[in-house]
Amino acid sequence: MHHVIIGNGIAGSHAAQVLRERNPDGKITIISAGALLFYNRYDLPDVFRGRCDWIDYLVHPPAYYKENKIKLRRKSLVTEVDTNKRTLTLAHREVMSYDQLLVATGGAAYVPERLLEFIPLMHNFNNFRVAMEMRDALPDGGTVVMLGGDALGLDLARTLVETKHRVVLVAGDRTFWPHEVNPETRPRYMQALEKMHFEVIDGKQVDRVEQKNGKGPARRVVFDDGSDLPADVVMPFYGLSPSIDFMSNAGIDIERGVLVNPQLQTTRDDIWAAGDVCQIWSPEHNAYRFFYGWKNVKMMGEVAARNMTGDDVAFTTALDEVLQIQPDGTITSPFWDYD
Amino acid sequence: MTSIHTDVQIGICGSAGDGTIAVGDILKRAMARAGYRVIAFDEYPAEIRGFGKCVARTRITTEQVYSMKPSTDVLVSLNDSHAIPHVQEVRDYGAVIYDSAPISLIEEGWHISGHLNPGQLPYSLAMREISEQATGANRSRNIVALGFVAGLYRLPRQAFIDAIAAKFQTKAAEVTESNVKAFSAGYDHGAQVYRFDKVEVGPPARRTRKQDSTMMTGNAAVVRGCLDAGIETFFGYPITPATSIMERLAVEMPKHGARLLQTEDEIAAISATIGAGFTGARTATATSGPGFALMSEMMGLGVMAEVPAVVFVSQRGGPSTGMPTKTEQSDLNVAVFGGHGDAKRIVLAPTNVEGCWRCAGRAFEMAEAYQTPVVVLLDLYLSNRYETVVFPKDNPFIADASKRAVLEKPDEPFRRFELTVDGVSPRAVPGEAGGIHTATGLEHNEFGRPNDLSDMHHQMTEKRHEKLNAALKHPGITIYKRFGDTGEVDVGLLAWGSSFGEALEAMLLARAEGIRCAAMKVVMLSPLPVKPIQRFLNDCKEVIVPELNYEGQFANLVSGAVGRSVIRLNRVTGKPMAVNEILDAIRSAAGKRKVRKSAA
Repeated sequence: MHHVIIGNGIAGSHAAQVLRERNPDGKITIISAGALLFYNRYDLPDVFRGRCDWIDYLVHPPAYYKENKIKLRRKSLVTEVDTNKRTLTLAHREVMSYDQLLVATGGAAYVPERLLEFIPLMHNFNNFRVAMEMRDALPDGGTVVMLGGDALGLDLARTLVETKHRVVLVAGDRTFWPHEVNPETRPRYMQALEKMHFEVIDGKQVDRVEQKNGKGPARRVVFDDGSDLPADVVMPFYGLSPSIDFMSNAGIDIERGVLVNPQLQTTRDDIWAAGDVCQIWSPEHNAYRFFYGWKNVKMMGEVAARNMTGDDVAFTTALDEVLQIQPDGTITSPFWDYD
Repeated sequence: MTSIHTDVQIGICGSAGDGTIAVGDILKRAMARAGYRVIAFDEYPAEIRGFGKCVARTRITTEQVYSMKPSTDVLVSLNDSHAIPHVQEVRDYGAVIYDSAPISLIEEGWHISGHLNPGQLPYSLAMREISEQATGANRSRNIVALGFVAGLYRLPRQAFIDAIAAKFQTKAAEVTESNVKAFSAGYDHGAQVYRFDKVEVGPPARRTRKQDSTMMTGNAAVVRGCLDAGIETFFGYPITPATSIMERLAVEMPKHGARLLQTEDEIAAISATIGAGFTGARTATATSGPGFALMSEMMGLGVMAEVPAVVFVSQRGGPSTGMPTKTEQSDLNVAVFGGHGDAKRIVLAPTNVEGCWRCAGRAFEMAEAYQTPVVVLLDLYLSNRYETVVFPKDNPFIADASKRAVLEKPDEPFRRFELTVDGVSPRAVPGEAGGIHTATGLEHNEFGRPNDLSDMHHQMTEKRHEKLNAALKHPGITIYKRFGDTGEVDVGLLAWGSSFGEALEAMLLARAEGIRCAAMKVVMLSPLPVKPIQRFLNDCKEVIVPELNYEGQFANLVSGAVGRSVIRLNRVTGKPMAVNEILDAIRSAAGKRKVRKSAA
C-alpha cells in the first residue's frame, strides 16, 4: 500500500505519523513544494526574537523520517492528478503512482484582485524564507502596514509590537478572519486592537502600494481618498485561499476547497483531504465549511489517516471558534493556540 | 570579526559528454585564481563519450589539507541516473543541485529529488531552460549549473569569468562569450536563492600573489620536475594514466632544446631510455603497470650496466588492462622487485603533487649519483589530482650529480665498474678520451668485461646493492617523515603514495578525538628506510597500513623488513582510500588497546 500525502504542513505530517503507527509496513510518501522538513509555522514570529535558524523550528529531526520510513519529497510540485491511473505528475516530469492519496496542501495567502499587481511590493509570512526576508526588510522600530488583519496577521502583529515595531492595521471586512464578527460587536474588537497598541485605520480602501527610493521607508500605501502612509513593510493578511489548482482535472468535487464528507473522504474512495484545503460537510450547518487552526488541522490529519487505514471516524472541531476579549481589554483567538 | 575557515567540497556528476570534467576544471582554476587552496580529483570512464559516469570533485580550503574530504558538501547533478548513487556522499545540511526540468517524462524513482536524505537541502534549477534563454542553446547547461553554484555561495564572479576565458582561449571569441553568458545567467539565479544549507565559503585566508602558488596535477608536477632537472631526452609510449606526462613534455621539451620520441612500444621506450642514459643524457620514460611489466627485462640491463635512467610508473587498477581510469596501488611489488636476478633499484613514491615535482627532480640526481634506474611510483589519483602548490624561487636540483671519472691516463684501460668504498664507480660516457669500456648485461669485472667467477659475481652484486643505501641520505628530499604525536602512541599509521594524504587527515581527526596517534609517510620504498620505520613501529602500540591493493604489498614489505605484524587496511575499489575508513580503523585499534588495558 502506497500512501501519498501532498502537503508537508501539520495535517500532512501528522497524518503520516498516524499512518505509520497504524500501518507499519506501508509505503508513505509526503510531497512538499518547500525545501525544508516539517517545521512549525506558528512559531515564525520568533524570528523577531532572534530565533533565526530554520533548524530550530523543526518539529522532527532528520532522523525521524528514516526511523519511521517516511519518504519526504521536497521541492516537488504536483501539477496533475490522474485519478483513473492513480498517478501524480510532478513539475520535474516524474510520474508517481499511489494507492491512497491525501490532499493536504493547505492554503495560500488570499489577496484581493485589485491588489494583485502590488504583490511584488508586499511581504508574506507563510514560510520560513519569506519570514526571514520580511524580518530583514524591517528596520529596528520600523513600520509595518498590515492590510486586512486576519487572525494570522494579528498574531504576528502582537509580536511586532512586543519587539518595538510600529504596526498600522488597515482594517476591512476580512479583519479577524476566519472569525466572524458582527457589526454590533465590531467596535469593541477594534478598540481591543488599539488596546494592543496597533494603530488602526478603518473605513479606508487601499488604492495602491508604491515603492519609494532613497532614504526613509521603502513603501508607500496610497488610499482611495488620496491620503498615504509610509511603511517599511506592507503585508496582506486577508485570509487563505485553498491550494487546489493541481486538482482541477482530477474528477473530484471541488467548490472553493476540496469537498469531503465528515470522514474527510472525497468523492473518490481512494482520495482524502485534510487541513485548510478542504471543505467538510457539516450536518450542523447543512453546508460544506472550512475549519481552521492548528488543532483542527492536526485533528483532520489524524482522522484522515485513521480512515485511510480502515477506521470510520468523523471529524468534529476541537475548538471554540469565538474571538475572546480578555479582562485586560485585549483579544485572544483560539486559532493562535498550538501544541 | 572572525573569518570563516573555508573547507568545502563540491562534486559535479554527469555522463561522459555532459561537460562534467570541463566545469570541474573551471571551478578549481577559478578558486585557485581567487586565492583558495584547492585539491581536486576527477573520476571518468574508460569510454570516450555516451556511456560512463564522470565525477569532478573539488575541495576548496583556506587551510592546508592533504586529501579529498570524506563527504561532499555540495553535489551538482548533470545526470540523475549517475548522480543518484552519490547522494549518499553529501553530508547532512549539505546541498544537492539538480535539473528541475528534464526533457521527457521520468519514471518513478529516477529523479534525484526522490533520493535525498532528510538532512540534505535540495536546489532545483531549470538548467536547460536557462541555458537556452542565455545562449540560444541548451548545451551550456553545465556552465549554467556552475554559475548557479558560484552565485549561491557568492564565489568571486570575475575569477570564474577569467577561468572560462582561459579555458576557451583557443576557440572562437563567441564560444567564450556564450559560456560567460551562461555562467552569468546561472550566477544571477544562484545569487537570488535563499540558502538553507550550512555550507559556508569565506574569503581566502590571505591574498596570494599569483606567482606564489600554482595549481597543477601530479603529472604536471612531474613534468615541471623533469624540466627543472634539465631532462634531455624522453622516450615513451602512451598509456593511461601516464600519457599526460609525455604529452606535456612533448610541448615543453623542444622549447628547452631537449628531445622526445614516441616509440613503437614500451620495450623500445625503456631500451632507448637506457641507451640515452648510457650516453650521459638525463633521460626518462613514463608508463603504467602493464607497460612497466614489458620494461622489466631492460630494467635488469639498467641495473647490471649501472645506467642512470628515470622511469615514472603511474599505477591503475590491474592486472592486465584492468581498470585503466581507476586508481590503485598494486604495482609496488613490480616496482620494487619486478624483474629477474638481484636487480635492486631505487623506488620513490611521492605522496602529494609537490612531492611529484620534488621526486621527479631528485630522481635524475639519484639516477646519476648512484648509477642506476630510479622508479618514481605514482598512481592515477596522484597523477590526475590537482593541488595548489608553492614552488621555491630557486631551482633546487643539481644539474650534474655524476661521479665523473678523472681520465688522466688515456692509454690505460678504464675501470668503469671499479670497486669503491661507496660502491659507486667513476663514470665516463661515450666520446670521452680514456673512458672506453664495455657496458654489458653479462656479469662483468671492473673493466666491464664478461666475468662469471663466483667472487666477482658476489662482489659486483654486493656493490650494486650497497651503493644504493646512500640514497637514504640523499639531500633535498623527504625519504620518510613522522607527523602527529611524538613518543609512544596508541595507534600509528604507516602509509605511502597517494594514500598518505587520507591517512594524515584521518590521523588529525583521530587526534582531535583524543586518540594518541601518529603517522609516518615513507617516500623511498627501495631501499627501504628500515631503521626509522622500526623506531616508529616501536613507538606504536598498534600499526595500521592503509593501501589500495588487495594483498597489502607495502605491509608485506614492511613486515618482512622489520619482523612485526601490522593491521592491514586494504581496499581495491578503484577509488581513493576513504578517510572515514581509516578513522574507523584507528578508533577500532585504539579501542582494542583500551579493552586490553582494562582487562589487564
